[in-house]
Amino acid sequence: MKCTKPIYILATNQISIQEPLTDNWIENPVIYEGLYHEAIDPPFKKWLSPGEARRLGKIMKRAVATSAVTMEQSGIQDPDAIITATGLGCVKNTELFLTDMCNNGEQLLKPTQFMQSTHNTIGSLIAILNRCHGYNVTYANGDTSTENAMLDAVTQLTSGDIRTALVGAHDEMTPCYYTLLERIGYYGAEGMVTSGETAVSFMLSTETDNAADCMVEYIDVMYRPTDNQLSGLVNEIGSIDCIMAGLNGRHDTDDKYNSLIARHFNNSTILQYKNLFGESMTASALGIYAATTILSRQRYPEAMLVRNGVNSKIDNILCINMSGDYIAILKLSTGKRQS
Amino acid sequence: MDQLIKELKEEIIEVLNLEEITPEDIDENAPLFGEGLGLDSIDALELIVLMEKNYGIRLTDPAQGKEIFKSIAVMADYISKNRKK
Repeated sequence: MKCTKPIYILATNQISIQEPLTDNWIENPVIYEGLYHEAIDPPFKKWLSPGEARRLGKIMKRAVATSAVTMEQSGIQDPDAIITATGLGCVKNTELFLTDMCNNGEQLLKPTQFMQSTHNTIGSLIAILNRCHGYNVTYANGDTSTENAMLDAVTQLTSGDIRTALVGAHDEMTPCYYTLLERIGYYGAEGMVTSGETAVSFMLSTETDNAADCMVEYIDVMYRPTDNQLSGLVNEIGSIDCIMAGLNGRHDTDDKYNSLIARHFNNSTILQYKNLFGESMTASALGIYAATTILSRQRYPEAMLVRNGVNSKIDNILCINMSGDYIAILKLSTGKRQS
Repeated sequence: MDQLIKELKEEIIEVLNLEEITPEDIDENAPLFGEGLGLDSIDALELIVLMEKNYGIRLTDPAQGKEIFKSIAVMADYISKNRKK
């Protein structure tokens, strides 16, 4: 859907396998090898007292930190909506809970692990800590969780139901989780980038005081789109300076990206982000985060460039996330919309 | 009894994720809830699970828990008299 009114990204932050809560990855990206890596955590004491933190898993602490910094930077402490994306939610606590179930004959289960083994614990914790009692929804739609959460936010912002939305995308990994997903071929294929934990927050708003804030221009999640539908979409989204592609080194999925790009965006600059931030079910949020940061900073690390490098101003970036039969796209542009 | 109190302190620290507290920091006679360690109702559920899992003691009456969880010393005394493992 084309955004019929300006929707700004006022602030965005990440905790990932790059340096947390900064955009230093543009100048000093860390290049990883190996199968998967845990996120680099900041000290959480700034946002959580020891008493508050003691029950929380890492995924929760990261969500609290990225949300708090994003709310502070945007100047919005009470967003109208908190919308969360997660592939598998609090996997670590889920594993502990299920292990206890198996080992103790479904008896003597720990309440903390139970409470934190659900997907929507993340969004509700952010709401409780910040006393935000508005709309609160979690999207767990595998690889397209991020775009579905964004689509919800953009739809409601466009319709005027809300004016601000804190959108988050969070996933953690454990050795067991990685092994199981490697076994079904999701991770660890030959040539594939490393996998990494994800925590990203965005503050979306229909208003801004800063003309430099980047805007969401178009968003769509399509299931098995036909060539005609894709051609129509390309015409509708207009000119594209850069593509932020979810290439991950896996031949079958990369072939899909390359085919789409060759047909419709052959002259655009092609960037990738998973070689820096890793693969995960919500990795596409890091692509949107990276695109937002690149539009703001007007530069990208050489390691992200796939082809057609650009020296001129980057006015817009199309983030593409292809997973199975789904294609999710989100177009970002810089500067205030001309009325 | 001293050994049981020490064991109980270590178990509580582990089960309740009291990361920055050592057994020496805990006064066995101080209240567990409200003051002292400042535990809450979810911690009470964790302690009930701990009692059953580690000592075979099943608490069914909530009022009973209120008495037993007054302090670590009271807990240790109750466990020593009622433990099944």
